Amino acid sequence: MTQHTESAALVVDERAADALPAATPGRLDLRRLRKVYGTDHHAVPAVRDIDLEINPGEFLTLLGPSGCGKTTTLRMIAGFETPTAGELLLDGDVITGMAPNHRPMAMVFQSYALFPHLTVFDNVAYGLRLKKLPGTRVREEVETVLTSMNLAAFADRAPHQLSGGQQQRVALARALVMRPKVLLFDEPLSNLDAKLRVQMRGEIRRLQRRLGITTIFVTHDQDEAMTMSDRIVVMNVGVIEQVDTPGEIYRHPASVFVADFIGRANFLDAEVSDVGPDTARITVLGREWTVPRHPDATADSAPALLVRPESVRLRPAREDSVGGSTGRTISSMFYGQSVEYDIETEAGNIVASVADPHEDQTFEPGDLVDVSFEAARTWLLPVPGAGAP
Amino acid sequence: MTATLLPGAPAPTEAPAPGRRRSGPRSGRDLTLVATVVVVAVVLVAIVGLPLLRILLAAFSEEGWGIVSSMLTDPVNRRILWNTVQLGVIVSLVGTLVGFVMAYAQVRLDFRGKRIMHLIALMPIVSPPFAVATAAITLFGRNGIVSSDLLGLGVDIYGLGGLVLVLSMSFFPVAYMNLKGMLESLDPSLDEAAALLGASKGKVFRTVTLPMLVPGIAGSVLLLFVESIADLANPLVLGGDYTVLASRAYLAVTGEYNVAGGAAYSLVLLVPALSVFLVQRYWVGRQNVVSVTGKPSGTPELVRTPALRIPILTAAVLVCLLVVTMYSTVVVGGFVKIFGVNNEFTLSHYRFVLAGIGSDAMFTTTLLALVATPLAGILGMLIAWLVVRKLRRTSGLMDFVGMLGLSVPGTVLGIGYAIAFNTPTVFANRQWFPAVAGGSAIFGGAMAIVMVFVARSLPSGQRSGISALQQINPAIDEASTSLGADSLTTFRKVTLPLIRPALLSGLTYAFARSMTTLSPIVFITTPQTKIMTSQILAEVDAGRFGNAFAYCAILIVIVLSVIGLLNLALLHPSLRGVNRR
Repeated sequence: MTQHTESAALVVDERAADALPAATPGRLDLRRLRKVYGTDHHAVPAVRDIDLEINPGEFLTLLGPSGCGKTTTLRMIAGFETPTAGELLLDGDVITGMAPNHRPMAMVFQSYALFPHLTVFDNVAYGLRLKKLPGTRVREEVETVLTSMNLAAFADRAPHQLSGGQQQRVALARALVMRPKVLLFDEPLSNLDAKLRVQMRGEIRRLQRRLGITTIFVTHDQDEAMTMSDRIVVMNVGVIEQVDTPGEIYRHPASVFVADFIGRANFLDAEVSDVGPDTARITVLGREWTVPRHPDATADSAPALLVRPESVRLRPAREDSVGGSTGRTISSMFYGQSVEYDIETEAGNIVASVADPHEDQTFEPGDLVDVSFEAARTWLLPVPGAGAP
Repeated sequence: MTATLLPGAPAPTEAPAPGRRRSGPRSGRDLTLVATVVVVAVVLVAIVGLPLLRILLAAFSEEGWGIVSSMLTDPVNRRILWNTVQLGVIVSLVGTLVGFVMAYAQVRLDFRGKRIMHLIALMPIVSPPFAVATAAITLFGRNGIVSSDLLGLGVDIYGLGGLVLVLSMSFFPVAYMNLKGMLESLDPSLDEAAALLGASKGKVFRTVTLPMLVPGIAGSVLLLFVESIADLANPLVLGGDYTVLASRAYLAVTGEYNVAGGAAYSLVLLVPALSVFLVQRYWVGRQNVVSVTGKPSGTPELVRTPALRIPILTAAVLVCLLVVTMYSTVVVGGFVKIFGVNNEFTLSHYRFVLAGIGSDAMFTTTLLALVATPLAGILGMLIAWLVVRKLRRTSGLMDFVGMLGLSVPGTVLGIGYAIAFNTPTVFANRQWFPAVAGGSAIFGGAMAIVMVFVARSLPSGQRSGISALQQINPAIDEASTSLGADSLTTFRKVTLPLIRPALLSGLTYAFARSMTTLSPIVFITTPQTKIMTSQILAEVDAGRFGNAFAYCAILIVIVLSVIGLLNLALLHPSLRGVNRR
């Protein structure tokens, strides 16, 4: 199999995957988990007292920029890092101090970490042999998993003779054969080319659903997080910003950081005139709107209105100067399926994305436009460090 | 079913009380790792820690300190100190220059016979310390073949001049290897960039190549300085009136039976040796701008300018000729009665070594070196693995202690062994260990010799192991751990197979080191356990150069054959551990 035909081939053999034994999914609890690197004099906190519950069979993604503590958290779960404080529970039992080789977990590494001196078969058999399983059992189990990953033909190859995608599948097979209670992924797709990456997202997710393994997936790629996860944990500087489903995180982010990190966002200064239980009356761009609000977004908190570029609506302007709801087009970029505009308004520059526009409904730089948005799809957010405490 | 597949997985059964601190932060940590660290630490203390401690205690005793404090006031001692520094400085500069010329010719010039020149340059590494010195006396001494018979000169090789010649020839391979590696890993695109910016060939060399090599050159100078001030064999044979610290310490211990005095001179030798070693390791090492791990991004452009090519090639060929002449003398000298005086063919020298009194030493030395080599190899790899992968705060300390066997001058180590192990090890009124060195020792003193061999040859394995391990992604270790392997299993099944080439070079070097080391051995060798190098010293002392030449030649043959066998064995596919189904 050559590299360019690979992405066309079926990565995971769905029928053979049925032969894979279902795992007993584990339940994980992180309680006030903390990790501080360095000495007492020069302490660098990496993870600050996080609480998290991971349900059996769940696909949970730790998402955040580099240095946010997601990898440290994963490594504490795996046992490669010892927490400075806090507890880690698996199915209700404390495993904080348990050595990593005794934890019923398996990990797929960013670099795949295949043993270069062993064949594909021996790589996958490595863990089973350590458990002193009889040779016939080892062979049976390894062959099952290799077949289900479409790797049977490569059993005798050395890792360096495989393509990146194949190596990735060997790494996955080596983890799955151990029937872990928890499966850990550390940015496993970042070394693949773009097309294969998208394909592998789907394959991993389908396999995980089929086997029902509790899975923790670390990535900094928001598309990966959005498309694969049951729930996403967004982390920043060692704390959890939000834990929720991909949809909720996109539509109702808990903070400006989350809103900015997931997808693209316009933040508009809003004047709050009235606050209801779930909504607020605000003035933006010279008009009054009723918008859904974050519980903490009150008049004192100097909130900002989150408007996603695709919720911005543009019409030819009625006014002849910038002000109020009228803005001036600064640039337009044609993407094929959409056109994106940069609009100068009295509230600052706004990015607008218009899906599939008609040829005669586009704007040119310099055109004046009337800016509005779908109020129900906006979200009023408190701005940290602003307003009264 | 899943649960039963996971040995050791059952988590603590007690229900965790909320808010309670986890029971014992170390509980369930890797016990094999702790055990390994303890074993390695105990071995290191035994083979280098204890002897050094004892030598310090002796040097700081009343008698020893008297000598130490007279180093600058007593004219004789001041002279010795000055001689040592003078010799070290000259040899380190000359040796580095020779090494640089050879390395530059090897990497940057194009000529026929490159491979042979490389092998010639490495010869001194596998040869015993006296080969060059004895050959030099035969060729250039008072009645030397070249100096007296051919040129009719009345030169005196005994003293500084002879020592510089012989020590530079013996140690330049260290600088050669060091600088050759650096020249090869210099990124040629840097030269190309400079050339594109308008620099001439000479300008590129002066402004780009040379500055990049400064750390390597400085490192070589420092290494050679330590090697030459620590050398004992050549000052004993060639020194004449030119006494250095090492030969003075030797005389104090073996001639005057003054252990405290020997320890005192050792301390004075130890301080510069260790400080230069530290500077070399931790300062020069950090200044290194050349990436030695990365593969060169292209082949360096060969220098064709005659102005550079002719002088460098001439110098390199002259060095090679000198090396070849020296070793030819060793070979021929073993087959004639007295080379240069009575050139009659004889086999008596070889008979002496192979079948006569000398064969005892040959067998014993080879056997003990064969015992020490795998021990040193495995220990070096274990230390490398602990230093790179497992230890955090203490890794620098373990690395340092492991390197002590080489950074401490052999004379110092030998005197330390004599003090520490000639009597039983007693601590807190209990005998922990019988005497391992000296006449009354267990195994006829063989154990101490193996310990010295291990201490001396361990660092090379450790270094190559460390640099090999630093190139292996730590995730590979973690993958093994997460699949259920404890630390030692991971080391055995994953790490060791991956650092096999480093292990091989470590073992090779360990064996050569063991076979050719002299300075620590002369202090602990016993009548029951004869070691070749100290036998050679005795033969040279007695003026039986023929026997010494035969010993040297045979020693070189043994070293080369064992290295060849090691290479075959460790690179043979059936032993490479790729176990197929």
